[in-house]
Amino acid sequence: MAPVTEPFPISRIASRYLLFDVDIISHVRRNHNMCGLLVGTIPNLSQQNVFLGIPLELMPEEARVLVEQGAAYIVDDAQAHRQGFMEMSREDRLKFLQYMDQQGHEKAMESKRMTEQRTAKALSAKGLKPKEEENPPVDPELVPEPYRDVTMPQFRPNSLASVKPVEVKEESLFDSEPAATAVSAPENKIVPHFITPTTSHPPLPKPAIDHSIPLPVVPKSYSLYRYVQSKGYFTMPGLRFGCNYSIYPGDPLRFHSHFLGTGLGWDEEFDLLDVIGGGRLANRNKKAYLIGGEDPQVPKESVTSTEGMRVFSIEWVAM
Amino acid sequence: MADEDEDAPKLRNQEDDEIDASEETQDFRFLNNLHAFDPGNLSLPKRGEKDFETDATNLQLDTLEASRQAMHSVLSWTRVHKDKNRILGMYHAESNMAYVEKAKTQMFQTIGRAKGGKEWLLPEEALFLIERGSMDCRWPVKEEEGETANIEDGAPMSLQGAYSAFIGFEEGVGGKLTLEMYNVYAGLRRSGYIVFRTGSWDDDFGVLRTDMTEPKGSELQSQGSIFYRFFAEIWRRISTPNRNVTADGLRFGPLVKPGLYRNYADIYRLLKIVPTHDRKAPPSFVLPADRTNPYRLHFDVYKTGTGKFSKARRGDPDFRVAVISARDTPLPTSSQLNDLLATAPYSPPDPANKNMYARLKHGTRNVILAVVDNGLPSYINVADTPFDGERLFENSLKPFRGKGGGRGRGGRGRGRGGRGRGR
Repeated sequence: MAPVTEPFPISRIASRYLLFDVDIISHVRRNHNMCGLLVGTIPNLSQQNVFLGIPLELMPEEARVLVEQGAAYIVDDAQAHRQGFMEMSREDRLKFLQYMDQQGHEKAMESKRMTEQRTAKALSAKGLKPKEEENPPVDPELVPEPYRDVTMPQFRPNSLASVKPVEVKEESLFDSEPAATAVSAPENKIVPHFITPTTSHPPLPKPAIDHSIPLPVVPKSYSLYRYVQSKGYFTMPGLRFGCNYSIYPGDPLRFHSHFLGTGLGWDEEFDLLDVIGGGRLANRNKKAYLIGGEDPQVPKESVTSTEGMRVFSIEWVAM
Repeated sequence: MADEDEDAPKLRNQEDDEIDASEETQDFRFLNNLHAFDPGNLSLPKRGEKDFETDATNLQLDTLEASRQAMHSVLSWTRVHKDKNRILGMYHAESNMAYVEKAKTQMFQTIGRAKGGKEWLLPEEALFLIERGSMDCRWPVKEEEGETANIEDGAPMSLQGAYSAFIGFEEGVGGKLTLEMYNVYAGLRRSGYIVFRTGSWDDDFGVLRTDMTEPKGSELQSQGSIFYRFFAEIWRRISTPNRNVTADGLRFGPLVKPGLYRNYADIYRLLKIVPTHDRKAPPSFVLPADRTNPYRLHFDVYKTGTGKFSKARRGDPDFRVAVISARDTPLPTSSQLNDLLATAPYSPPDPANKNMYARLKHGTRNVILAVVDNGLPSYINVADTPFDGERLFENSLKPFRGKGGGRGRGGRGRGRGGRGRGR
């Protein structure tokens, strides 16, 4: 896992806030107690809804907290891609294709090694000796990590020309004729795989901070969100329990949620029935109902401070 | 990669369980023994064990760390296309769609539409194919110096690029696909349903469905010989008192005139004087066409496994879904809901279904609202329920026959009391 430098970019697509980089996703989870919601399909596991993958959708509240703390900044991804790909110059495109070819070749090698390992394992399980080949079985330690960890830092759109083409042993991928993307009949029949990368970096450079992009628009429950987040709680969208947030004492990977939170205005009137209903629903699910609001009169030291919050936990006891 | 998991839903074994595993965040360590290159025997993991709160033990920290590592490694899986079964797609900027020149896998039986020798994919279809690792999509080549551009010469579109394009560019070309709609589309596809857009989405308002085809079985009368019918008619006239009470008659006379009554149903029928809404009639009031009205049908959803599916002749869908963003959309107004239901066809419940509550839940028209809160969908069924069509007095005749009235009533009374305590 590669370390993440702050501030990191958050993609804004159609006014939703998404993260595509797996390292940033882990970073946010570990250091900012935000888990967002994975909304994408995991390749090869595309027939189920239990485990979902990249992208991670951040609630606007989460994006706002990250931006206000200076940990992240918002990037207009549609704009970046329109410039970066629709207007991509021929030169950059060919460089990128070469780079992808190289990655694809590594993937193909890795896949071949995995197959060989499996064969060897299956054979040794039957007490047979694996057939010796020219390339010996590889120690699993030596199998390269996903390519981002190894090669991505080297890649810069403008410096690619200086990358030495010797990494790939058998044949030169850097043909003078760039249209030939397939490797011409290699000896050991390794045809490079084609890769759909997860992020667009590379070839796009790390996006610049654009201060003209407004802060994420947040609902009135934002003050409650910011408060529980600052106390180290994790939150998930609360739709399934009819509240704003389900609030977890730790990472939802490991813990059940404790509270069903609803954010209210300071002088807002609300139905007593909501308290009964929310409390009863929460209690039924072994949780407590939580309401909170922020006193606008209390002076604040900074945007991120949470003085003036009052929060009540409600437990439905009996008829 | 595309061939290992075609549309046959082989991973759906959680449906039998009462617990829906997708409701909670699951432990990614279950996927540890899977690998991107080894999708051979996948089976869905069982529900994970979780803790109540942090207890600061190393054991707990280690378990959490292992879960996070597993999650990280699963999320790092790369989408790889092997040469022989790769689907090569091309992004088309003007329509914000993608096309495939040679549609060779079965996948295109439930996706895309053929036009001009190419298979065209709507934004949600293209994005889903990219996301599940089935399609290698390319950015178009900027036209320069008369170069003959093959699809292969385009830069590969990343997942991030695909979201930026198919969701982010959508508004620029006048499209209506939002991320919420895509979430619902992908979620239903992952569950094994076949999903198509309802209509073309180009009009500002869904097409009202006024075709009121009665289902079969309503022509039970007019059977038997002419003599049978003659005597049956005479018997009907004798046994059922005059039912056509005019409004004037109602004003002055009793609702139930003195006469020969052989059962309660006849009396109740006479008491039924409140007119009800005719569900087959087209709506008398329709909101003006409005692009911003969020309440419209978006997807036709078909179950799989019911014979061979043909996308050209799809027939009536099993479900109709309207996608709503929980954060931006208020509750529908009565008119919005009315209009939404009017765009669904009149489909009364199966009269053979003996369960009255199932019939009531089904309604004469129904729409499923998919409410998405920040990527998390919940599905709500909205049905136009014909309570007036269920004549309780005709259904509940049986307990009065055979048994003594007093005993029967006593039994029912006990039953009711028991239920009352339970609630």
